[in-house]
Amino acid sequence: MYRRVVLSVMALAALLSFFMVIAPTGATGDERLRSDTYVFGETTTIDKPIAGSLQIYNGNVTVTQPIAGDLLVAGGSVTFSGAGRVDGNLIYAASRITGAEDRVRGHIYPLLSLEGAALSMTKSAVVASLLLVWLIAAIVVTLMSGREVRLSSVEVRTSALHCFVLGLVALTSFVLTAIAFSYLVPYVIGIPLLAALGVFGILTKIYGMIAVFHAVGTLIAGSRSRQQLASRKWLRGDLTMVVIGVLILGAIRFIPVVGTIVWGLASVFGVGVALATKFGRREPWFLEFRAAEA
Amino acid sequence: MTCEDYFEDPEKNAAHLETCALCRALEDETDAVAIEHRPLNVDALPLATWEGASHRTWPLVAAGIVSVLVLAIALFLAAGTPPLRGIARAVTSSVTSFEAATKFFQLFGNGLHSAPVLVHVTIAVLFVFINTLLFLLLRRAPRGIDV
Repeated sequence: MYRRVVLSVMALAALLSFFMVIAPTGATGDERLRSDTYVFGETTTIDKPIAGSLQIYNGNVTVTQPIAGDLLVAGGSVTFSGAGRVDGNLIYAASRITGAEDRVRGHIYPLLSLEGAALSMTKSAVVASLLLVWLIAAIVVTLMSGREVRLSSVEVRTSALHCFVLGLVALTSFVLTAIAFSYLVPYVIGIPLLAALGVFGILTKIYGMIAVFHAVGTLIAGSRSRQQLASRKWLRGDLTMVVIGVLILGAIRFIPVVGTIVWGLASVFGVGVALATKFGRREPWFLEFRAAEA
Repeated sequence: MTCEDYFEDPEKNAAHLETCALCRALEDETDAVAIEHRPLNVDALPLATWEGASHRTWPLVAAGIVSVLVLAIALFLAAGTPPLRGIARAVTSSVTSFEAATKFFQLFGNGLHSAPVLVHVTIAVLFVFINTLLFLLLRRAPRGIDV
């Protein structure tokens, strides 16, 4: 019975996804969409005015003529010269923009603006500031829900592999769901759905990271026996374990490359454990309905 | 009186044993199980995760916050940036603005509509596959025990 329900729901979800993905393709009759230009992994020059927007994904483009709409650059470089300008907004992520001064009529949005901040001040200072925020958030959350954080910490230590796999799958799912919701952006409902997904993702990561802080603190400084616990005055309690975890992972964060990798892995573990334990509540995500027995 | 009545309240329905051979046999079997009482040494048991968990070492917490704050201030001073402004800027810039994200997804969504059908099908297949996998993984009960 249960399998039938799951299979039916899966089939329905597959159909819904399929229609959701395919249906908006029929809406490309919009003039503005037709006039948009896309560049994927190419080196090219915009030598004719563009009536719509220009989107560049992993490409190098020289803009010598005006762009009436927005310019979106994700992974690549853009160089302005001649009469090149953007009447809309310029949005860029992990990209190099050259000669854009006074050529963008709208706003310039660096999508990952941490890079921009890091350019203007030392990276270490930025890392230390964010570490301070993590520390305060971890303390507040542990004071509010210490038991839940501890339960998640136990889970990540006992089922590390499961948490890691779940974290990887969940992050992939977030990205794919965001892409699926992007199809709905022209139909208004897409933006609130994306916002809800973003909030859920951020909360999951924050909670999960705090559980990982607790797990790291317990692994490094946790009591091994009752006698050891009784003899300690400072190194005991959830709050202490979380603070020690933040400080240890924070110290690692300062190491170039290694710090980024370690925090990336910690995020995967964190998202996994947050979902595996339902934010420490240890309740099932899905209820199983059993057939009534006569 | 039925067997069910007896199992619901054995003491009240003790007379049922005289008439039911099955229940009498079960009762005899239960009586035959010997319960051995052994002294319990709590210290010999492994340390439970909740033991001492509610203890709050405030001096350590304060020391942690102060040390990180001092480090951030020192680094900003070394970089020639006013510390408070630097910290505020670092924190606010780490969060992508809602407006920028909205613009990005608007453009990305419009771009998707112009993508080839193969891209749509790939996204749909991946979406269903990954979310099915997520559903199956989420069905597993947590293992960590903390009573």
